[in-house]
Amino acid sequence: MKTRKTSTFVSMMALLAALTMILSACVPAGVAPQPAASDGAAAPAATDGEKVITMWHIQTTEPGPQLIQQAVDRFMADNPGVKVEVEALQNDPFKTKIKVAMGAGNPPCIFPSWGGGPLYEYVKSGQVTDLTPYMDADNYKDRFVPASLSNVTFDDKIWGVPVENSAVAVLFYNKPLFEQYGLNAPATWDDLMVAIETFKANDIAPFALANKTKWTGSMYFMYLVDRLGGPEVFKKAGTRTGGTFEDPVFIEAGKRLQELVNAGAFSEGFNGLDYDTGQSRQLMYAGKAAMELMGSWNISTAKGENPEFYEKNLDFVAFPALPDGKGDPNNVVGTVGDNFYSISPTCAYPEEAFKLLQYIIDDESVKLRGEAGKIPPVKGFTTDDPMLQKVIGMIEAAPSVQLWYDQYLPPELGEVHKDTSQALFGLSMTPEEAAKAQEDAAKKFYGEQ
Amino acid sequence: MTTSTSSTPPKRRRRWRTEYALTAFLFLLPTFIFLAIFVVWPIAASIQLSFTEWNGISPTQKPVGGANWVRLMSDGVFWRAFRNNLVIVVLSILIQLPIGMALAVLLDRGGRKFNLFKTVYFFPLLMSTVAVGILFKYIYDPQFGMLTSGLRALGLGFLVQDWLGDTDVVLFSVIAVICWQFIPFYMIIFYAALTGIPAELREAAFIDGATESNYFWRIVLPLLRGTISTAAVLSLIGSLKYFDLIWVMTEGGPTNASELMATYMYKKAFQSYEMGYGSTVATALFVIVMVIALSVLFVTRRFSEENE
Repeated sequence: MKTRKTSTFVSMMALLAALTMILSACVPAGVAPQPAASDGAAAPAATDGEKVITMWHIQTTEPGPQLIQQAVDRFMADNPGVKVEVEALQNDPFKTKIKVAMGAGNPPCIFPSWGGGPLYEYVKSGQVTDLTPYMDADNYKDRFVPASLSNVTFDDKIWGVPVENSAVAVLFYNKPLFEQYGLNAPATWDDLMVAIETFKANDIAPFALANKTKWTGSMYFMYLVDRLGGPEVFKKAGTRTGGTFEDPVFIEAGKRLQELVNAGAFSEGFNGLDYDTGQSRQLMYAGKAAMELMGSWNISTAKGENPEFYEKNLDFVAFPALPDGKGDPNNVVGTVGDNFYSISPTCAYPEEAFKLLQYIIDDESVKLRGEAGKIPPVKGFTTDDPMLQKVIGMIEAAPSVQLWYDQYLPPELGEVHKDTSQALFGLSMTPEEAAKAQEDAAKKFYGEQ
Repeated sequence: MTTSTSSTPPKRRRRWRTEYALTAFLFLLPTFIFLAIFVVWPIAASIQLSFTEWNGISPTQKPVGGANWVRLMSDGVFWRAFRNNLVIVVLSILIQLPIGMALAVLLDRGGRKFNLFKTVYFFPLLMSTVAVGILFKYIYDPQFGMLTSGLRALGLGFLVQDWLGDTDVVLFSVIAVICWQFIPFYMIIFYAALTGIPAELREAAFIDGATESNYFWRIVLPLLRGTISTAAVLSLIGSLKYFDLIWVMTEGGPTNASELMATYMYKKAFQSYEMGYGSTVATALFVIVMVIALSVLFVTRRFSEENE
């Protein structure tokens, strides 16, 4: 009888553990440790009439936290009686935490976002303060690069302040490796194909790709679409203004992508590699891969991780034009301005909060961000770093900056995009099937069925 | 009035019972409150949410009746995840328990000489799952990984797979890691049970002419039946609600090849902003785990009663 009791007890305990796990909705175990964060999300009780502003941000890698803190300190020195409580969160825990906080009606005063679809989701849910009057005052918005504001403008209103950085996807390549095989940086599609063949023949992966992460592979798809059909194709499909995700351009882009896969253009086992743990960069650093399509943040990443590689090997060009493409080859895919900071309607002191944001992107802050290798989204910004200056030049010359699809689209559709593009890479979906899956999801999301 | 308590006057006995019940109630109260707030209430809330359409942040939840459930029934990804969970259940029980048992017997028979191995074998369980996941991600790396280069160095290059990128292989690659991590757990459970078997039994068996294998199959295993079924239930429930290692290593990919019910629920609720549908998946997971666990419990109980 002991047996039965034990097993009943143990099973009950196990069941309980199961339930707890299920219903605590699985705090992601797979991510970096959270800083010991207090639950200071709620508008804290002000003491002695002191105004308290809570702010969350996700600038956790040095010098990110200082860039925020120096502005906060200057703001508090200039505004006695206002106290700012800053909380730095890791990227992925933040995404979960902000949703829980908003769902519980308990968000911080100031919170970061990437603009685009997810921010619009917050806007539609009444969780964001309309910043248009603040941005219009003294034409403050003219301070920013127009492309940055387009990521936070919905229904003709501005809902966030672009602050942190600008990043566009560019084609990084290993200079000495190209020289060794007598190749030039690929300027055209034909150049690219020659490079792919040459590297294949020499047992070097043409592209390093870590596509467990999904958005990494999505960059290739976005550029193919943009080069083939220009940014309007996606815009029309995404905004449901006469376009469809089954447009021949999307299908053609899928075909081109699978051509690359079949030509062996990507590093072995790419769909299982993780960008976040550096598995694609290692290939680049080791000279086992020749190119990588990646956001321009890769410049500072390489500088930090492998200064020698950064000095001697790293260079980049724009994604090459397609021979029969209608898109302007100067177009870029990326983001200008993120993180953006928004103010929650539960914030008791929105004016002070906006003033704080102005400190965070004032001239002093812009200067410090530039020194940290970032490209703040303000007009007329220049830097001594030749690589960053080249990125700035690309952004300025670009007729269109296509925001990452997975950030532009509503989250539900963004996930479908990432899943279908990973399936395209894995050859487990045809371009037609992927296009149909995306279109079906969009129809369902917008209630068109 | 035949029982020994008959000497206690009935009145006093009743009072003693009330006091006892009250004390028990007061002692249990904090736990009950805690469980009610953190377990029962969230379960109820999840069930309620499973009938709504909600993005998780909006102040309003739109009731949609059974629409989410209809969608779940025809959701290929969910059923694929369910099937993957079943694969993990079966393979976990078939691999972890026998190896755990073998190691336990080895340690038990080895005596003090094996003290070092007791610790060594236990190590995997002590490591954080996230660390294990990242470690094995590197081991499986198709270019730099220890496994790939090791196989090639041994001239076994033909065995090399795209461990985490091939949709037909990925689930098994992860299951291997799950087993690596959890075998020590079952080893310790079995080892503890084995040390509980009195030495006289063994002596008696051998005097009667039993061999080592007779002794193990005919005496040890039947004695450990309860422990084994407990271990199987633990493994079963653990496998059904499995989340962490898969999340770290594959996030359910590529293209849902290693998707589990729990990872799918997380993706829906927190990545696609479909808290309503995510809750439907959570509730379905809850019901599935509950039904399977209860039926296993029922069967094992019947089984052990029949044998008593």
